[in-house]
Amino acid sequence: MSEDRLRHAMRATERPDAVLDLATVLREGRRLRTRRRVAGAGAATLAAGLTAVVVVMAVGARPDDPSTAERPPPVAVATPPTGAAPMVPNSLEPTSPPGTTGDEPTPKPLGQVIDSGVRHGTDQRVYFVVGVSVPGHPRVSVGLAAGRRALDGSLTTDILINDVGGVDRSPGFHQIGYDERSSADPVPTFGYFVGPAQRIIGTVDGRQVDARLARWSVDKQVVIFWFDPTELTPGERLDGIIARDGDGRRL
Amino acid sequence: MARGDAEFVEFARAASARLVHAAFLMTGDHHQAEDAAQTALVRTYASWSRIHDDDAYGYARRTLVNHLVDGWRRPMREYPTDEVPQQRHGDVADEVATRRWLIAILGALSPRERAIVVLRYYFDLSEAQVARELAVSVGTVKSTSSRALEKLRTAAPQTADQEARR
Repeated sequence: MSEDRLRHAMRATERPDAVLDLATVLREGRRLRTRRRVAGAGAATLAAGLTAVVVVMAVGARPDDPSTAERPPPVAVATPPTGAAPMVPNSLEPTSPPGTTGDEPTPKPLGQVIDSGVRHGTDQRVYFVVGVSVPGHPRVSVGLAAGRRALDGSLTTDILINDVGGVDRSPGFHQIGYDERSSADPVPTFGYFVGPAQRIIGTVDGRQVDARLARWSVDKQVVIFWFDPTELTPGERLDGIIARDGDGRRL
Repeated sequence: MARGDAEFVEFARAASARLVHAAFLMTGDHHQAEDAAQTALVRTYASWSRIHDDDAYGYARRTLVNHLVDGWRRPMREYPTDEVPQQRHGDVADEVATRRWLIAILGALSPRERAIVVLRYYFDLSEAQVARELAVSVGTVKSTSSRALEKLRTAAPQTADQEARR
């Protein structure tokens, strides 16, 4: 048997129609990427013996819907990587499926609402801190919401992120909110960092993107950041993120 | 879909068939091959932002081969059959026979030998490239490749004999 014959046989039996489930590949790949990022970025958290997991909620409300101000943020995703049952903030009881109405109002902002400068029609894209309660984790009391503020001042919550373990005010990065909905008003990627950050820089596809920053009016150590949607497509995963102080030192 | 995702999907569509077939040559099992190729693509996608401008196909191939070599401890299924037939394009019976023959003779090799044979003769990599991908010396690739080919030369007539006795 010659090498050429072996080579030919290997190629001749190739099936050009082999089809893999690329939707599953993308979904599993994102999960793997997230696990890697959490493992890397969570070093400080792990050193402190903490566990931080994101709870993301989404509202399928339209900005022109008059009932949106009274619409609760139903759960879209709540998957702790530890395999434990998802923990949902008590204060919100977000159990309705996306797009349905409920009786609970949008959570009341703690401190000032931050206008990102991004507009969706006449609505402002805003970020604000809200109170949450996670059973068994009394040191998690706040989460960060991405929402819209209408001309009449009413607020709609699109996505809420919060830790579901550990301490919500521990130094470093906490959860990052990605909009994975197919929405006409996508939420720019956002999150918060605790510490004296003057710059927050994300990396995606080998390029660096500077985040916009604002300090929480209640606790100036909490730096709320978001990425301009023209620089980072909402939903696109960051490969890395760092914070620097005023002297350019990495925090 | 983000720009990076669209590029990845295009890449995955182009690379899937070869990755699945390479995994099939190494495992002899279609389902296992598809699982392995899918795993390789998942890992490739997870690292897409830092590799897609470089050698994405090479990354996926390395991931696939190392995944199979590291994780595989079971013997291949063997389908004793005839000497490899001459190919006539479009002849399904011949293709099936050739596939069975291939799996039979590759089943005589160890996982690492099979990986070397697949990298050398299916992916057409040089001995130096195979050595880099498997993190072994070029000497190891040469000796293992030589041993593998000798086994294949021995195995091929046996499979023909087995078929003749049927």
